[in-house]
Amino acid sequence: MIEIDRVSQVFQTAGRQSHLALSQISLTIEDGAFVSILGPSGCGKSTLLYIVGGFVKPTDGVAKMRGKAITGPGPDRGPVFQEFALFPWKSVLGNVMYGPRQQGVKHAEAEAQSRRLIEMVGLKGFEDFYPKELSGGMKQRVALARTLAYHPAVLLMDEPFGALDAHTRTRLQNDLLNIWERDRKTVLFVTHSVEEAVYLSDKVVVMTRSPGRIKEIVDIDLPRPRRRAELLLDSRYQKLVVDIERMIDDTSEDELRT
Amino acid sequence: MMLLRAVVTRLAPLLACLGLLGIWQVAALILDTDSFPTALDAIRAIPAILGDKESLINILASLRRMAIGFGLAVMVSIPLGLMMGRSRGVAAFFNPLLMIIYPVPKAALMPIIMLWLGVGDVSKTLVIFLGVSLPVIYHSFEGGKAVEEKMLWSGAAMGLSAAQRMIRIVLPAALPEILTGCRTGLVLALITMVTSEMIARQSGAGNILFNALDMGQYDTVFAMIIIIGAMGIGLDAAFEKMRGRLVKWSEPRFDLPLSFS
Repeated sequence: MIEIDRVSQVFQTAGRQSHLALSQISLTIEDGAFVSILGPSGCGKSTLLYIVGGFVKPTDGVAKMRGKAITGPGPDRGPVFQEFALFPWKSVLGNVMYGPRQQGVKHAEAEAQSRRLIEMVGLKGFEDFYPKELSGGMKQRVALARTLAYHPAVLLMDEPFGALDAHTRTRLQNDLLNIWERDRKTVLFVTHSVEEAVYLSDKVVVMTRSPGRIKEIVDIDLPRPRRRAELLLDSRYQKLVVDIERMIDDTSEDELRT
Repeated sequence: MMLLRAVVTRLAPLLACLGLLGIWQVAALILDTDSFPTALDAIRAIPAILGDKESLINILASLRRMAIGFGLAVMVSIPLGLMMGRSRGVAAFFNPLLMIIYPVPKAALMPIIMLWLGVGDVSKTLVIFLGVSLPVIYHSFEGGKAVEEKMLWSGAAMGLSAAQRMIRIVLPAALPEILTGCRTGLVLALITMVTSEMIARQSGAGNILFNALDMGQYDTVFAMIIIIGAMGIGLDAAFEKMRGRLVKWSEPRFDLPLSFS
């Protein structure tokens, strides 16, 4: 379980002004839940993810993982970034093996595990390729496999499909859901796409633009396993998408008024 | 047609060298002065130099100083540059110092260094060290600075400590840029090596060159210039080969052949 307790984040901008990025966020994420954080760009949703990851220290408040305050990054929380952040000097296999090797897994065992993971994300045959030789979608598959390889309890996904074209994006969403159905890891998923959030999540946390606050938490009680083709025709799905889109429109108007 | 083009591309460096020697030969024949021997005369003087034990000892002494100066400079400059690239404090401390040293020709420091440390190996090696350091520091700095934050975060999540991230992420990620600096540094090592021997004449390749100049043996002067030039080309080609192997992961697939390797 992840508990975020009255977390605020202030950034110093170049002009020495302080900018309130997150204001008094409190949120609890149950084990095994797929939770999306949805909001317009600049609402601090990625910052919130980085705080849970331990990459950024909150200015105020505390984030806890299994009851312990988060003070830094750790292998129990595995990030997947929009920018992939693969190690370009390592092959696909080398990238995926990096985490297990760091955790002290024997070479042969790490390699066998990593090969299985690479196959699972659909990249069998690309083990010896370097990242620069792969397309964006393939890079993100490697990044996902690399993070899954060290068995984090929580996946922290920071707009992972944001840099991909629509078709690749859909395929990766489907594959992510399939992988997630197998072991139901806790996932914290940051996105600005309403459809993506509704399609994937158990819960969607809708945020307002700066300062980032939680506007509403929407339960997505659509049955699983979900199939995209069925879902798109499902009126409950359609209503959820429209409702959440309205909420986001409202927050944009709030901002125009102030 | 394709074959012909391939052959021409292959032979281009050689053709360029031959062309240059041809122009030299013609120019020397036209000008016809003692201080400008023909290319053939200069080339003919090379075996005499390389066959002479004294000369070989001198040239090897030069190369040894160059290797030590270059090696020490690289060992100091890469860690320093990378730390500057990753830490604002370290960069703020060293940047002004480097800005002062940067525009000073390192050979110009030679008289002062000679005054303190004598005319021996230490002074000359130190000048080479200084000449190599700056480009390597600069490129390591730029390379270290450009390392993606998220890459370091990914490493941190896997459990890498700050020191491990420096050695196992920042260093390899910045390696292409570092090696670009080292390549410049290698050529500068050769240049400072010759200039240091020009100022502190005692031994070395530069010593042979300038002694010959004093004595009016112009074919030897030009032969030495060819030898030093060939050493530069050889070292650079060897370095490029090594660099290509180390950072083949970062090279674009179709690269213009920029070296003789």
